[in-house]
Amino acid sequence: MNKTFGVLAALATTSLAASVALADGSESIADTRTIGYVTTDLHWAFHQTQDVDKDCPEGLAGYGPRETFKELYPNGGPVEKTQLARESLKFFPRDEPMKFPYIYAKGTLGVGVNLDGKVGPDDYVSATGEQGIDNALQKVLGCNAQFRRPEGQLQLFGNKFVRTSTWNRTLIEITNVDSLSRSDNVEVTIYRGRDPVLLDATGEGVAPGGTQRIDMRWGKPIIQHLKGKIVDGVLTTEPIKQGIYPWAIYNDVPTLLNWRDMRLKLTLTPERADGLIAGYMDVESYYTWLIAWSTHHLSYGRLDPAEFYWALRKMADAYPNEQGEMTAISSALEVNMVQAFISHPEPIAGERKMTDAMH
Amino acid sequence: MKLIVAVTGILLALGLGTAAADSSAREPYVDVPMPRGFKVVSTELEGPVFADSRGRTLYKWPIASLRNGYAGDPKDKSACEDVVTTKTGGYMSPYPGGLDLPDLDKRKSCVALWPPVLADAKAKPVGDWGIIKRSDGTLQWTYDHQPLYTSHLDQAPGDVLGGTSLFRRGGDTPAERIPVGPPTALPPGFRVEGTLNGRLLVNDKRYSVYVSDADGPNKSNCTAESCLQRWSPLLAPETARAQGEWSVVERSPGVRQWAFRKQPLYTYIRDTRVMSYDGSDEPGWHNVFMQSGPRSPKSFTVQNTTYGDVLADRNGKTVYFYTCGDDSADQLSCDTLDSPQQYRLAICGGGNWARCHELWHFVEAAAGEKSDSRVWSIISVDPRTDRQVAAGQPGSLRVWAFRGRPVYTYSGDKQPGEFRGHSMGEWQGRRNGFRAFWIRVI
Repeated sequence: MNKTFGVLAALATTSLAASVALADGSESIADTRTIGYVTTDLHWAFHQTQDVDKDCPEGLAGYGPRETFKELYPNGGPVEKTQLARESLKFFPRDEPMKFPYIYAKGTLGVGVNLDGKVGPDDYVSATGEQGIDNALQKVLGCNAQFRRPEGQLQLFGNKFVRTSTWNRTLIEITNVDSLSRSDNVEVTIYRGRDPVLLDATGEGVAPGGTQRIDMRWGKPIIQHLKGKIVDGVLTTEPIKQGIYPWAIYNDVPTLLNWRDMRLKLTLTPERADGLIAGYMDVESYYTWLIAWSTHHLSYGRLDPAEFYWALRKMADAYPNEQGEMTAISSALEVNMVQAFISHPEPIAGERKMTDAMH
Repeated sequence: MKLIVAVTGILLALGLGTAAADSSAREPYVDVPMPRGFKVVSTELEGPVFADSRGRTLYKWPIASLRNGYAGDPKDKSACEDVVTTKTGGYMSPYPGGLDLPDLDKRKSCVALWPPVLADAKAKPVGDWGIIKRSDGTLQWTYDHQPLYTSHLDQAPGDVLGGTSLFRRGGDTPAERIPVGPPTALPPGFRVEGTLNGRLLVNDKRYSVYVSDADGPNKSNCTAESCLQRWSPLLAPETARAQGEWSVVERSPGVRQWAFRKQPLYTYIRDTRVMSYDGSDEPGWHNVFMQSGPRSPKSFTVQNTTYGDVLADRNGKTVYFYTCGDDSADQLSCDTLDSPQQYRLAICGGGNWARCHELWHFVEAAAGEKSDSRVWSIISVDPRTDRQVAAGQPGSLRVWAFRGRPVYTYSGDKQPGEFRGHSMGEWQGRRNGFRAFWIRVI
């Protein structure tokens, strides 16, 4: 068979089989024992209500780039000692200590996962009463307007790019599925997709049922495998030691979030997967993600990057280095996904399977 | 596995090559009327550009909407004056204006760096060429209502070092000077985009145009349904006529298709974004370049990364260019070695010269290595001052330069395929910072 037509045939077959399998609900997953999803939204997870005063009695962060600049250089000065000094500090934040007050979120309710299996004094309680929630990042983000819904600018822009940037086209494929309600032993593979998401009739929402080809040319380093189980419709995976999740800012500022002990906790339906990616976020990796935003964008929510760096370092709670400094921070990312048919490339005749992710 | 190929084979290795764009082919242009003493010069990166009688490239400085105001020339008026600006203009967010610009004792005026192209008192407008009176009473040539300048950086005929139309704009990018040239000879419905790979032919919606090896000269063999399901012939109207390198192919009675250099043209139905190279992944199909791009140094490689294919040095380390424009009303460039270095030092080393050198390295040329291109050159740099010096000066380094500006590798990149230095700097590296040379992105 001609190679090109072979690929097309394989795509068509995958799509059709999955389509039939899901047509009448999760029970017919038995046909393929596989379901795929594509990421549509990402939000840093923290407890938030409509009442800002209650969430943040000290107010929201007040020292962004404009405010720090005004206070530090009320009379202006040479550009290299003012504007350029602040810009260089963004890339070399350790050059100066924290100078301005930072407002940390307080409270006892939190969003996340009990990462260490313990209940500690700094842990949160979830809205459903689960003890021991580890999310120190919530303390850093919770009172910063950049991250609060619905108007937080980084979130608004960030999610726009989740849908438009191919870099962010992150897929999960769950195999060995008995049912979406209960499966004792499933495998989860993370891929990058190559195709646009399927928009619904509003042009803004993402509809289930789209097709995604796997990026095997540039996306291989993103392929990751996790093991897990589904109980009462909730997928919980075991942690992997090192995990990565792509989240680009614009199409041409690609960044990878590096996690330790990364795991997924997702509520599954035939159309959607919603829940958390959780683990200990490498502080430097998180900061690199943050400063991919321009100082202009960070100003929207009064976020001075160098000050923010020290807040991250202060709240970091895991993986100490040789000096005893914590290098990672417990955190969670809320993720929303919709079902998608994942098309695998057809193996070339005579070649061993392309990756161990192929089935 | 990382992809490593010598750059001479970049286009073929990436599947971007096209038989139509042999290395000697040059972009065709419309023969517009010009005043006496001006000419058109074909350049590697920008295509055809206007030059004065001494071969100096002509530039325009179109007004641009920046965050906090406008900079550049409005129609038929020059904003470039012979006055040394001393303060920032506050065009960038979030910083206020009124800050002292660096190296004021050496700072030059806009006119000194961008000499206006002057017209003599007897000169008359010709075609789209006009004449305006400057504030000092001298007369200046315009093209399409944009005042024209030369650049102090262009030393030899054919140099185009002053500005480029290649990179994206918007946000806090500077109001840049760009070369001016005659229109490309194109039928309606086509345009040309500058890329590192060459001058890319696209349709009027900026979607890539492709050709097929299976077609004959002025004959399309993409007639089966299996082909037409993926490739859409670019149809020509009944009034279309062959001209220059453009011809019209009759697919069937009454159905006509554009061809360029005798190759029928198509768009790729699966392309989901503009200026795509995805169609060239189909065996036998290629993007179309009006002319191929400048030849990168032979010792350079292309690396496969998670974001696409990037230019790298001989060891596989990603290569970066540095770009900079100041925030003055003049929006002068600060990315050359003779411009104030405070901008680069702020980003490459936090203002610390030694740290800058630890983190960012010039890409040294090997002994005997030469450039095949005007765009890529080898310059000599004194590593104690970072200033360009005469070739062979004791203690100097021979380093690779792109458009006369040195290129760099970043010590934060530990493995081939890493690009941790990409977008480091003000406005994601586009105002004052480092950007990787992307050959193709996902």
